[in-house]
Amino acid sequence: MSVLARSVGNAFRNKVRTGAVVAVLAVAIGLALSMLVANQAVAAKVAELNASVGTVLTVNPAGGQGFEGGGEPLTAEQAATAAAVPNVSTVVGTKALRLRNAAEAAAQAGAGTQAGGPGGGQGGPGGQTTTTLTTSLTAAIDAGTLGNRNQAGQETTGSNGTTQPARTMSLPITATGIGAEVDSTGKALTITEGSGLGDYTSESANALLGTTLAEKNGLKVGSTFTINDKTFTVAGLFDAGTTFGNNALYVTLPSAQTLASLPGELSTMIVTVDSMENVDSAKTALQAALGTDKADVTQGQRNLETAVSSLDSVKNISLIAFIAALGTAGLIILLIMVMLVRERRREIGVLKAIGAPNRTIGLQFVLEALVVVAMGSVVGAAVASLASGSIASALISSNSTTTTAAPTGRGVPGGAAGFPGGAGLPQGGPFGGASQLLTTVTASASPGVIAAGIAAVFGVAIIGALVPALLTARIRPIEVLRGE
Amino acid sequence: MIEVKNLVRTFKSGDRTIKPVNDVSFELEQGTLASIVGKSGSGKSTLLSLLGALDKPTSGDVVVNGVSLASMPDGKLTEYRRRDIGFVFQQFNLIPNLSAVDNVMLPMEFAGVRKAARLARAKELLEQVQLDPEKHVRRINRLSGGEQQRVAIARALANEPKLILADEPTGNLDEQTGEHIIELLSSLSRDHNTTILVVTHDRQLANKTDRRFRLQQGGLTEEPARSRVAAASG
Ligand SMILES: Nc1ncnc2c1ncn2[C@@H]1O[C@H](COP(=O)(O)OP(=O)(O)O)[C@@H](O)[C@H]1O
Ligand SMILES: [Mg+2]
Repeated sequence: MSVLARSVGNAFRNKVRTGAVVAVLAVAIGLALSMLVANQAVAAKVAELNASVGTVLTVNPAGGQGFEGGGEPLTAEQAATAAAVPNVSTVVGTKALRLRNAAEAAAQAGAGTQAGGPGGGQGGPGGQTTTTLTTSLTAAIDAGTLGNRNQAGQETTGSNGTTQPARTMSLPITATGIGAEVDSTGKALTITEGSGLGDYTSESANALLGTTLAEKNGLKVGSTFTINDKTFTVAGLFDAGTTFGNNALYVTLPSAQTLASLPGELSTMIVTVDSMENVDSAKTALQAALGTDKADVTQGQRNLETAVSSLDSVKNISLIAFIAALGTAGLIILLIMVMLVRERRREIGVLKAIGAPNRTIGLQFVLEALVVVAMGSVVGAAVASLASGSIASALISSNSTTTTAAPTGRGVPGGAAGFPGGAGLPQGGPFGGASQLLTTVTASASPGVIAAGIAAVFGVAIIGALVPALLTARIRPIEVLRGE
Repeated sequence: MIEVKNLVRTFKSGDRTIKPVNDVSFELEQGTLASIVGKSGSGKSTLLSLLGALDKPTSGDVVVNGVSLASMPDGKLTEYRRRDIGFVFQQFNLIPNLSAVDNVMLPMEFAGVRKAARLARAKELLEQVQLDPEKHVRRINRLSGGEQQRVAIARALANEPKLILADEPTGNLDEQTGEHIIELLSSLSRDHNTTILVVTHDRQLANKTDRRFRLQQGGLTEEPARSRVAAASG
């Protein structure tokens, strides 16, 4: 019979009461773990958003925000100026081109229609210097309802009074010359087949095609197509994740400038700042260096900022809830142990009368508390495995109503990582059959974090148990004679 | 050898001060079986608790083999209770959810005795106090009063104490069982050279001890040994 064995025995002395305490503890611990998992899921999402766009600034020509607006184009010299601004780590120039199918364009020209089409789909401003060129490619987006709607919109603007049959209309294809392997928002391109273009700062007859655009035109890596009668070879395919984004192609920046016959001219500059904290100051410095009459500096995808801040508040709430639930668990332990010490006052007196040191008695009570906490943790983790899924999805869906920019539709990648139940727990069982939703959420919280959460529960439990354990030290051995 | 020197213990109850132990002095040689008789509330338990360092005197001292309890810090007093004293209580005071053997092993566990050694000694002690072997692993609350008191005596003997303090050990037992317990204690004091001080208000039992004390209004007086032995035998 050791101290531990006695503690386990004592924990089961009153089974009904122990059961009730374990149940209440399980709720508190389950809530704490759920909140920690949710907190980590949200934190991971915030980090992901910050990493993707948080440090990117976009420079457009002044007054170029509106479709077909005026203003002087950006130049290579301005790119050099931007690169010299403190905390700017990279400057990538882009040159946007608009491509129309050659046959379609000829037909429309014959019908005397306008040259302009609906703006680029990917969300970036079209830019005033967008040059329209012809291509052998056919747009991947058919003249469906969208085409008709845009068509109708254009009619009401009255740029021309002629009504055209919808079938002749398809969206233009956006071709962008890029100075690095990034898309028009500064995000690295996801190349799904083939390879990149290598050196993006020299002319090349290679191009990257969006997956749907390539499919529509029956092109593969190595196939060729033409822009303004110049032949390009498909070096690779990319997936931008959106229909509009995939109805696009990328060539190197000098190639695009040559196609447009505008060497040195840029549509936009994508400026990356070295860290999140420097974004505001770098933005101000960049605007000053380029001049407000020459360029507009915007933070890439502003709506992401609101996404991040709303996620941040969710993160804070879940952290507070975690701490509160943890504190509640500690308080439950404290009150139960104080009650037990009072109840076993005389028995503690007996132990002291036969020579038990204070630390042995204190340890026995702390261990007894930990036995109860361990049981509460096992049940609580089972509760968390059920609750954290719905809590996380509730957080995610409420978040997706506040912003359209957050990548809410996608689950957090991570496959079948499962809940790391072994850490600090006598049993890992309840985690195995976690729902798919939980798997994706817990996968985003590292095993270290879960272990830390359980360690925090035990830490709080020890603190909660220490107070009554110290109370036992103050019980005098003469208590053994009480009531005799 | 135990020397009790001018021991005083006072309690304040309201504005009244009571002195259950008032200037008590006596000496006991090692191996003596002694008894204290006195009316209920006369301070017998209070005196015993002072000798066993369960409580601290208001003034005076207890000197055990030349070492003064008054000068000992709490940690040393705990060690004194563990090593030098064995307690036997009227209400047994065993740990109810442990077995007989586990209860006897407890003081040895606190003294750092290895598990195998303490198990062997616990069984040996339970045999000495004549507890049926099949009852060794029985939970305390499934044993009779007499059996519980045997376990309590075995526990008191666990660390081979110099002094056993028994506070009305037969008070909750029938006459015959009580007699057995007293016989057990008296044989232990002979065989192990253990000093035993028994509090009792059973005169018959007191008559079987080497020395008899009476506690009255806080004062201790010794009754002459010879006349009682003569009375008992005659
Ligand atoms: N902790 C205490 N506080 C106040 N009075 C006490 C305390 N302990 C004992 N007494 C009083 O001291 C007297 C002696 O008690 P006790 O030693 O238990 O007597 P006995 O064991 O001889 O029956 C009693 O009057 C009792 O009420
Ligand atoms: Mg008494």
